[in-house]
Amino acid sequence: MKDEAIYRRLFRTALLIRLVEERIIALYPSDKIQSPVHLSIGQEAVAVGVCDALRADDLVFATYRSHGFYIAKGGKLDAMFAELYGRKDGISGGKAGSMHLAAPDVGLMGSSAVVASTIPHAVGAALSFKRRGGDRIAAAVFGDGATEEGVYHESLNFAALMRVPVLFLCEDNGLAVHSHRPIRQSYRLIEHAAAYGIAGRRLEEGWDMLAVRQATLEAAAHVRSGEPFVLEIATSRYKEHVGVGEDFHFNYRTTDSVDAWKRRDPLIVDAKLVAELSPELEREIDAAVAYAEASPAPGRLELLTDVI
Amino acid sequence: MTMAAAKPLAQSSRVLSYAGALLETMDGALRDHPNAFIMGQGVDDFKGIFGSTTGLAEKYGAKRVFDVPLMEEGMTGVAIGAALVGDYPITTHIRADFSFLAMNQIINMAAKYSYMFGGLMRCPMLIRIVVGRSWGQGAQHSQSPQATFAHYPGLTVVMPSSSQAVLDMYPAIINRHPGPVISIEHRLLYNLDFTISPADKRVPLTSYVAREGSDVTVVATSVMVLEALRAAQYVQDRAGVSAEVIDLNSISHPDWELVAASVRKTRRLVTADTSWLEYGVGGEVCRQLMMRDPGLLRQPPAMLGMAPAPCPTAKSLEDIYYPSQHDTVDAILTQAKGKNHGIDLPVERSMTEGYKRFRGPF
Ligand SMILES: Cc1ncc(C[n+]2csc(CCOP(=O)(O)OP(=O)(O)O)c2C)c(N)n1
Ligand SMILES: [Mg+2]
Repeated sequence: MKDEAIYRRLFRTALLIRLVEERIIALYPSDKIQSPVHLSIGQEAVAVGVCDALRADDLVFATYRSHGFYIAKGGKLDAMFAELYGRKDGISGGKAGSMHLAAPDVGLMGSSAVVASTIPHAVGAALSFKRRGGDRIAAAVFGDGATEEGVYHESLNFAALMRVPVLFLCEDNGLAVHSHRPIRQSYRLIEHAAAYGIAGRRLEEGWDMLAVRQATLEAAAHVRSGEPFVLEIATSRYKEHVGVGEDFHFNYRTTDSVDAWKRRDPLIVDAKLVAELSPELEREIDAAVAYAEASPAPGRLELLTDVI
Repeated sequence: MTMAAAKPLAQSSRVLSYAGALLETMDGALRDHPNAFIMGQGVDDFKGIFGSTTGLAEKYGAKRVFDVPLMEEGMTGVAIGAALVGDYPITTHIRADFSFLAMNQIINMAAKYSYMFGGLMRCPMLIRIVVGRSWGQGAQHSQSPQATFAHYPGLTVVMPSSSQAVLDMYPAIINRHPGPVISIEHRLLYNLDFTISPADKRVPLTSYVAREGSDVTVVATSVMVLEALRAAQYVQDRAGVSAEVIDLNSISHPDWELVAASVRKTRRLVTADTSWLEYGVGGEVCRQLMMRDPGLLRQPPAMLGMAPAPCPTAKSLEDIYYPSQHDTVDAILTQAKGKNHGIDLPVERSMTEGYKRFRGPF
């Protein structure tokens, strides 16, 4: 069955992301990765479904929480681990670390650690695509918190005015660091977008890779026809905001919502497929880690390159 | 703080972390000033801006201490509005880099209110911003914008380098200062313990001699004051070189006469700042000296700051990006004894490793 093949493909990538981040957790106490890490464990289905639905030449502009998007867009694993290790063979030679992963060769245009700051970049790239003809699109990926920043609103307004082929993709994990969404926002995202004349949709089943993929295919078709679109996908952050631990003991949130999510999370539920695919993926990760370990550290020669 | 630490503690002396000092002054502001309030992302959560606001929301209520959405420019504008009608707003940014989103409100508005309206209105408020460093903070979590902000008349910029500096300065700012103040706190200072005593209380909003000396003047800011003090001790022990360390402290309004008097005595200068050298604090120190007497220095000064690049994430690059203890010692010795001073440098290359172990006294 066709859907079955797609499911397997998506599942494999999602599992790779999870195993990569679990490896990061395992490696972290060794201090080999000296970079703050914002894990996307629990949110993998979004990156995977979205990137699968986009064309290879579509661009994604992302955030500090982008291990998933890097992998789902096709970034190389060995260059990613070398980057996390701060090594010369890292995708950015060690200058980026976890927070600024980029792989422009596969359309991941770089992640910013300043919330919301890449949203207008997607608008600009898409505006350029439109001016030059063709049907490439750009996607701005951001969290629910990012929509509070002024630049989000400016970007929406401008995209609507100029009819820019940009997909605004909100990963709604309900949290900005430790603050819950209702105390931060007086608006609903889709209604808010509608006020700008931008069509949108909220998908509740953010654990479902096929549903995310389907929603993105439809949204991308709309965007490719020349209109911006806001796609909001509910998801769940299992780990602490930054770092490799959990944060339930701080009592600012309960395990309930996460547990409910885990009960539907295919990477947990479909244990059979996990068991089947894991060994091969673990070997891939082993190789990437070995590559990072063998890569030399950058030094004086690299310190002042690429400044301008 | 500095000298007293070596002596037995006076009775009323106590040990207080930098975060603890911040928490005390925030508590004091809310207690003493009914119109003071604190707003910022995460000020009321369990991390409480690295321990500097923890528990205050519970103590004073959500009207006085509250979380805000992601809205740096808006928040700063809201604070200005409240200040104009008699409140004392304290806002926070857990990284200085995020305050850049509020540049318009800080520079075009807060800095201008008093002057632009001919003194009709004042905008007293405190903006606390934290400089990150180490553990891969990278290009967007590590910037130290004292020179940027101090460039604009109307802003008062401070960089408290110890618990004592916080205790001296914050109440004075909050209770008496007529205009907007930006305090640049360094993340690496937060967990350090300092010995403080009432006897060390100083006049706020000026510069201090943190250690007396006669051979070389080191003018330092923030965490570089601690570096300079450690280096001064090292060169004293190893080479009998006597370095005078000046904590610039009040970046926009330093005591330049204090700096000039020191350099008149030593004729040798090292500047040690937490930011880039280009158009920076060290350059301003030199301008001030030059304008007083171009012949003050015996030789070109040594200037320590970040390498002229955005901050790299890799540890191996970060280690050479920031001036290390090694560089600070070498700069002082080179000033005092020339390039071929022949004195062993400390082996510790990375300052941040030192900070993790470092517990004072200094
Ligand atoms: C402009 C700016 N303000 C504040 C921060 C600190 N900060 C980092 S992540 C974050 C929360 C963002 O939440 P959201 O956009 O929902 O993304 P999530 O972390 O949930 O993926 C905040 C406030 C920042 N990095 N940039
Ligand atoms: Mg969020």
